[in-house]
Amino acid sequence: MHFRTPSPHKLIYGIIFLFLVYFILLPVISIVFYGISSSDSLFFTTKGFQNSFIYLRHSLSVAIIVTIMATVLGLTLSFTLHRMAFPGKGFLRALVMLPFINPPFVGSIAYIMLFGKRGLITHRLLGLTISPFGMRGIATVQVLGLTALAYLLISSAIQKTNVSLEEAARTMGASEGKVLLTVTLPLMAPEIAGTALLVFLASMSDFSTPLIIGGSYQTLASNLYIQITGLYDMQSAALSGIILLLPCFMAFWLHKYHLSKRSYFSDDTASDAIVSKALPKSMKAIMIGLSALYLILLLGQYLFIVLGALTKQWGYDYTFTLAHFQSLKGTQVKPFINSFKLASVTALFASGTGVFLAYLLKLHRPKFATAADLFATLPAAVPGILFGIGYLVTFRYPILGVGKFWLTPLPSIVLLGTKAIVYLICIARFMNIGLRAGYALLEHVHPDIENASYNLGAGQARTFFSIMMPQMKSAFFASFLRSFSDGMVTLGAIILLIIPSNKVAVQQIFTVVKSNASGDAAAIALLLSFMTLIFLGFYYLLFNFRDVIKRLKAPYKKEVNL
Amino acid sequence: MKRKLLLVVLAISAFLMIACGSSNTPAEQNADNTPANATETPANTNETAQNGSNITEPTDTSQNTIDNTSTDTAPEAAVETTQETVVETDAGWHSDYYDAEAMKDVTLNMYGVTDTIIPVLEQFTADTGIKVENLTMQNGEILQRLINENTAGTPIADIWFTGGADTFISAAQQGLLHAYDAPEGAVLDDIMKDPDGYWYGTSLTLVNWVVNTALIDEYGIRMPETWDDLIQSGLEGEISMSDPASSGTAYNTVSAILQVRGEKEGWMYLDQLIGQVPYFTARGSDPANNVLSGEAIVGINASNGDRELEENNANIKIVYPKDGTGWWPQPVAIVEGTKKLDAAKVFIDWMISKKGMQTLADVRYAAVARDDISIPDGIVDIKDIQLFPVDFQANAANRESILLEWQNHLPQ
Repeated sequence: MHFRTPSPHKLIYGIIFLFLVYFILLPVISIVFYGISSSDSLFFTTKGFQNSFIYLRHSLSVAIIVTIMATVLGLTLSFTLHRMAFPGKGFLRALVMLPFINPPFVGSIAYIMLFGKRGLITHRLLGLTISPFGMRGIATVQVLGLTALAYLLISSAIQKTNVSLEEAARTMGASEGKVLLTVTLPLMAPEIAGTALLVFLASMSDFSTPLIIGGSYQTLASNLYIQITGLYDMQSAALSGIILLLPCFMAFWLHKYHLSKRSYFSDDTASDAIVSKALPKSMKAIMIGLSALYLILLLGQYLFIVLGALTKQWGYDYTFTLAHFQSLKGTQVKPFINSFKLASVTALFASGTGVFLAYLLKLHRPKFATAADLFATLPAAVPGILFGIGYLVTFRYPILGVGKFWLTPLPSIVLLGTKAIVYLICIARFMNIGLRAGYALLEHVHPDIENASYNLGAGQARTFFSIMMPQMKSAFFASFLRSFSDGMVTLGAIILLIIPSNKVAVQQIFTVVKSNASGDAAAIALLLSFMTLIFLGFYYLLFNFRDVIKRLKAPYKKEVNL
Repeated sequence: MKRKLLLVVLAISAFLMIACGSSNTPAEQNADNTPANATETPANTNETAQNGSNITEPTDTSQNTIDNTSTDTAPEAAVETTQETVVETDAGWHSDYYDAEAMKDVTLNMYGVTDTIIPVLEQFTADTGIKVENLTMQNGEILQRLINENTAGTPIADIWFTGGADTFISAAQQGLLHAYDAPEGAVLDDIMKDPDGYWYGTSLTLVNWVVNTALIDEYGIRMPETWDDLIQSGLEGEISMSDPASSGTAYNTVSAILQVRGEKEGWMYLDQLIGQVPYFTARGSDPANNVLSGEAIVGINASNGDRELEENNANIKIVYPKDGTGWWPQPVAIVEGTKKLDAAKVFIDWMISKKGMQTLADVRYAAVARDDISIPDGIVDIKDIQLFPVDFQANAANRESILLEWQNHLPQ
């Protein structure tokens, strides 16, 4: 394919490429050098190295179990909620998304109070006295949260699978179960592998869940945080960070060059209304049962958090009170505004550049396209807290980090300690969401469409704005909503970089969780969830403004169609 | 119906957007303005103060006449400060560096380990007009940040208040703190402050036990009163303690026990204590959380008053061991390289003044470092509690060897 690449495109590509090198590649390389240069650290003297491998084993065990369970559950949920007919589907689809708007640590507390040694369910109802700490706890909480991620990714793939192949199999007499196992699932294999990879990486980089309910079972990510905050030793943290990076990169590489080679796509997007009627009863029962179990657990957890926010002493005294919400008056409003600003601005930039980069890389194949793609997706493989350390050790030097090497008395720009650094790290981290959304969309856009526009005599600007832009719009919107909700609850990457005037709501919750006031934490968490939900709704309306207006103008037409 | 509903949702979101936007801008402007103001104003006051003192020396007047304006304003400024001094002494605090006019737009950035002192900070703002933005982190995180910001040459925090004395000692040794010879510091005991003025203790952090009384009753366990009560049978697996390697609370407890009981006896006791603890938590605040959620019956905790725990939770009691307990001062310090040095000094002066300590005692029920304030009801009276004699310097020096030994005593 040969395309004319307009020169503004080249310029923008250059800028994005520089950004990628500067704010993604450099920090990651810095971690490695910083870690290796610490030969005299405590790490080598106090069994640190040995311990790191124990933590690595913990991380891997949890991540593998969680990946398998969350992917299977996500797959089951996607099929149940998208291919089976029953009332209340819309509500359940919304319910699955709950984990996206809630900071994870409150869920961990809820788990302890429900399934702990004196937990409501395990102790008071079942009379058991078992410790909730350890691998079981971490895995349960992570599966509850990450299944939502798996569901989101797989359900969008389900809607895009080529239905005609399934139809062909059916007409040739294959049973519904056989179609599912031999056609639909293999068709979706690349998407499932991609989902599994993201779940694996999310589990590896989660530091707050093991910190709260890991007990003595700490993982590499949580141990990183402990090394910095408890042992005051950032260099050995960087060293064990390198150990954490290795499996993440491996999984990433495995996926990129072996599993995602095959790709099947259809030009026509399947509608949502496909129903697999003739599935075997047993299969149906298992799928519905699993989905129901998950949804009940999820709903239970959230209702329990609401209960915690509204009762006197969460876990002990369930007398109704509004005291926790009243104590919120004392907390400052500013962190919430900061969260909103951070999430909105970074979502805008990250999605914009991500989707545009996908378009450039896919259709124009500029120089260093492979490198650009690799750099942009790199943050997905680097655990947030480690990425934060990378920023910390890179940008504490003047002139955007490189001043370390030029010790010139020039007016220095030190990024550390500015508000900008928090925004930059979030943009760098979320850009791959936009990139992936862009790729996914372009799979379904015919590559010749741009050429056709040129051949018909449209100029560069016209082709871009009236042919490509409308095509890419939906990828941008999807990515924006994802990045926004991620940005509202992100903590790992920014926890070491925020400054007093820039603190965000999640950090407040993390602090309150620590300060033995779980009811207050639940109340703030609910407030943040609610806020995220409202703004997500607002942005959704904004993006689909025309559709909404259309629907408003013809409120009855839709019902007739049904 | 649907249409109306959508319109309402739209209107609400629009309203929220506007609300956020409007409250946003002034806040940001403030934040943007303050650093600039701050760098200018304290410098000015310093100048006038110097000029003022120079006037008394005749040889320097010739130099001062060059800058007429500053000599003119100098006496006025002097008068102003003396007037303020009178008012301030009535208020229970005084600072030589305070300039109400210049400091009304100053915001101090503060690092600390707890949000519970926000009411104290609000009182400081009410008294001085200086605003304080605090960021709450763990002790080690603060130390790491200070090191990084020092390397970068861009200190973010101006002051550091709350935390363990060990991190302050370590920071002072690494040149991260600014020494200030506060006049009020003379009132404090030697053990409550750094000899060179790098930090001043405000209140006493006391090691205590958070006890779940409901579970004590349920299991028929003797309410623990002494350290030996912790190793009674029935509490196996029911004591929560943090890891001395990553938590100041636990390290202080361990070293205090070793100092009081001696090496041999001390480790024998600790071996028994280790047997009662199911696992060692990463953070000093975890044991209290574990007791709250019923995961443990007794949690080894450290607090500065912190009565909320008992007040908000009917089944929780804070117990101070009868045979002595570990403690450390909760310091306040100025961060080296701050651009708002004068305002930071005002904060130190206010914090260790009678007014500041009284506020701390009233709001937090903390046992404070001064003994000339009125003690509110319900506060822990340190006279009733036997404090382990602690040598903080030795604590810091022996840290590595004690932690190594600790590793050997853990079940393999």
